[in-house]
Amino acid sequence: MLSKKEDRTLAYQLISFVFAFMLIIFLASILVTRAFYNRVIMDNQLDNMRHLAHERIHLIDSILFRVESFATMSRTAILNYGLSEEQHFAFLSETLMENPQVHSICLADRVYEGKEPRILYTMRHRFYSRVIRGTEYRYQDWFQIPQMTQKPYWTEPWVDTEGKGEMIISYCLPIFEKGVNTGLIRFDIELGYLQEIISGSGYFKIGSSFLVSTTGTLVAHSNTELIMNQSLFSIAEEYQSPVLADLGKAMVSGKQGHIKINGKSPFGGTWVYYQPLQSNHWSVGVAVEEDVLMREVDTILMIQTIASILIFLSVAIIIYARTLNVSRPLKRLAIAADRIGAGDFDAQIPVSNNSFEISTLAQSFAAMQSSLKDYIRNLRITTDEKNQIRGDVIYASEIQNKLIPTNTTHPFGIKELRAYGILEPAGDIGGDLYDYFMIDDEHFCFVIADVLGKGIVAAMAMTMVSTLLPSIAPYYKTSNELLGKLNNFLCRNNIETNFVTALLGIIDLKTGRMQYSNCGHLPLFIRKMDRSYTRYPDTHSTALGVFEDMPIDYDEIDLIIGDELILFTDGITEAMNTKDEFLGISGFEEILRKLPPPNPETTAKGILSEVHKYARGATHKDDITILVIDYKHPTIS
Amino acid sequence: MDVQKRILVMLILFGLMFSCKTQKSDSRDELTYPKAASDSTSLFPIRFRPKWQTQAQFAGVYMAIHKGLYAQHGLDVQLQSVLLTEPAVDALLQGHGDIVHVDLLNALDLCREQTKIVNIAQINQKNSVYLVGKKSNGINSLEDFRGKRLGLWRSGSNMATRLFLAQKGIPMEIINIDWSINLFAQNAVDVINAMDYNEFHQILQAGIDSEDLFIAKQQELGLTVPDEGFYVRPEFYKAHPNECRAFVKATLDGWLYAFSHEQETLDLVLKMMKEDNLRANRAHQQWMLNHMKDAIMPSIAEMGILKRKNYEEAMDLMIKYMGFPRRIPYEEFYPDAE
Repeated sequence: MLSKKEDRTLAYQLISFVFAFMLIIFLASILVTRAFYNRVIMDNQLDNMRHLAHERIHLIDSILFRVESFATMSRTAILNYGLSEEQHFAFLSETLMENPQVHSICLADRVYEGKEPRILYTMRHRFYSRVIRGTEYRYQDWFQIPQMTQKPYWTEPWVDTEGKGEMIISYCLPIFEKGVNTGLIRFDIELGYLQEIISGSGYFKIGSSFLVSTTGTLVAHSNTELIMNQSLFSIAEEYQSPVLADLGKAMVSGKQGHIKINGKSPFGGTWVYYQPLQSNHWSVGVAVEEDVLMREVDTILMIQTIASILIFLSVAIIIYARTLNVSRPLKRLAIAADRIGAGDFDAQIPVSNNSFEISTLAQSFAAMQSSLKDYIRNLRITTDEKNQIRGDVIYASEIQNKLIPTNTTHPFGIKELRAYGILEPAGDIGGDLYDYFMIDDEHFCFVIADVLGKGIVAAMAMTMVSTLLPSIAPYYKTSNELLGKLNNFLCRNNIETNFVTALLGIIDLKTGRMQYSNCGHLPLFIRKMDRSYTRYPDTHSTALGVFEDMPIDYDEIDLIIGDELILFTDGITEAMNTKDEFLGISGFEEILRKLPPPNPETTAKGILSEVHKYARGATHKDDITILVIDYKHPTIS
Repeated sequence: MDVQKRILVMLILFGLMFSCKTQKSDSRDELTYPKAASDSTSLFPIRFRPKWQTQAQFAGVYMAIHKGLYAQHGLDVQLQSVLLTEPAVDALLQGHGDIVHVDLLNALDLCREQTKIVNIAQINQKNSVYLVGKKSNGINSLEDFRGKRLGLWRSGSNMATRLFLAQKGIPMEIINIDWSINLFAQNAVDVINAMDYNEFHQILQAGIDSEDLFIAKQQELGLTVPDEGFYVRPEFYKAHPNECRAFVKATLDGWLYAFSHEQETLDLVLKMMKEDNLRANRAHQQWMLNHMKDAIMPSIAEMGILKRKNYEEAMDLMIKYMGFPRRIPYEEFYPDAE
């Protein structure tokens, strides 16, 4: 989650993205390089190790094979050419003198009839011949093994106390004459000679070589402590290294190959290449520390790492500089946008030429600024006009309210009458109307009307009705005549095709007789003192303002004491609850039944309260008008 | 303070120092030693000749010398070099040594006519000899030994194997050898006589796995006569019985020290081997020391004792299978018998 402003900058995000991307590429590249170069360099190094081993093997084998050939020639000389002992000794002394790698020669057992075994060697360019006393030699490996196996035998390193007392290895060739063992010729090589070859420097400068005998004994090794003391198996045992034991088995069994040795042994952490000698089946090993082996890979990886870091840093700097260049006009644009947002539509939009996108954005911004300016100007005009209209509407509303009679306990001071009216428009002005007035001293006229539609037109129609009726009432004393006149007026003067429902009644205050006409309006209800009520559903014509000269009928009712006339508009019956259900006439009658005893004010307010309760939460609203009139007959009172 | 009191205090302090040191390392070191003689010229000289060259097989003797245990018992022990031309027992009979290492059966074999040597301690309490053959050469059971070539030491510890073959009725062609396992490695012999603590491990260290070998362990196959012990001439014992016992006691203490201080002991053994120009590797000497512990110390109470049961069994077998002409009383052969 980005917590700081800097973290959200374009430069930061671009550099982060590039870093993450390059990191992935770099890691993948390291893995691929390591895998690839590991193999290549390993193969290369193994080749070097193999060449080094070949070089050592070639040097040692050439000596051992030469010694073998000397021994074979010597045996051939004895068996086939019948050399005398003196002639044979002369040949052997010459061999010793001319071949310094031949340390000594032994003629054992009955090589020459009746002669004791002898050891021949040179020292300081002098030839020595010593007789071997006793028979102890017969139990030594060099004598016993070839005698028993009847095969030539290369010994393990041993010390010949009869000779020069140095550690040697010997090639022992048994002599059989006509199937009978007649003796043995032994040619010795000083072990140090082979050790020098193993430890000597060669063409291939890699690792260190070692030599292992057929029992796994380390015959030559850079660590002199190990020589002749340890075998690969004893080291494997001491350091608990099964891999080293595997190496030992592979070497003593004459195999060739390479293996990685882990652990803390003297061979730990090295790769070893091994290959047997052809002559005596000893094995030459070349050990190279893995670190050395992999030095080239590590160098390549180091170069790769440094190069990657440099590339990343260069790219980061370029991105940072470029994003700064891009973000500077963006920042100026943002400042201009802030000023425009604050209402300064004349703020200067910066012009940028450093990229097409930024330039396009600036142009778009300027266009938007211009559009905004026009829009705001138009909006201001419209708002002014609207405000003007609204003021007019409010004024009209006030006029409309003044056209409605003010509620007083006894209208016009007439004690027989009580009236209470409520007009609750849905908007500022409405299309409903109620009114009552005296036609003369004896006749009380009341009316309730509902103009189709809402707003100004309905209000105008309503104003016409409420203005016209009182002015013409003295000339037309019947409800039907009065409404007929109103109908014709509306038909002639109504601009819109609005029609008006109306219920108009005239009460003769002396007789208590009420004449009334219902022109498409809701029924009249009359409540009695006992809270019972009567509904007068009949209408005497259709709504006004539609058909000129339309015949209108009337009815008469004799009011008795306590009769309460209840008139209302469709805002009551069409009130809807949250389930979009109308209250309806039946709902209205339900309200009537719950009302307290007749009293115009409490009845009107009670009805309004129940209607509000029913329509609570509903979105639909209509003008609501209620007029309740209570007449008390003077004679009866 | 007079001189006698000073000497007494010094001896007590010395004893305390020694006991403190040994208590830290091992409870078995809680041994009491007689006071060290103050003058080496007053020590009794003993020439000890082990049966083989320097190795952990004799670590108890080395540690007894190195730690001054013999001197504390009033002995001046000279560790003689082994001569291949003169086996230890020959040196003893020739008067070239006073105490030597000999196997019980070989010692008995020397006493056919008369008791030339007597046992003063039975060091090993078991028969450690294995007969080993390669499965690849068709040796998979004891029966496969029949008629095969057996490399057997021409002197020294060879009587156990001769008796074993006679006891099992297995004729073999005996090839006398000195000590090398190369005859076996080169298949010059089919079977080789090997001590579990030495040659057997050398074979393993030559890269031959024990799974590839058939191993006849004489102890497990019924020949339980123990092998190595200390021997002296009877007249030497009669003349110096206390010195013989002191030698045995100090040597056993040396073994106890060696078993409880393995690394120190191995360090000393390897150092001595290098001084003698012998091939030495720690793994082999560790193996040997471990096996010597099994052989020498089945329990501390048994250490150094030639048990009557073992002796009589050896006597019976020698008479039955090796034509031994007489029964030598236990007490005559082992004068320290209780």
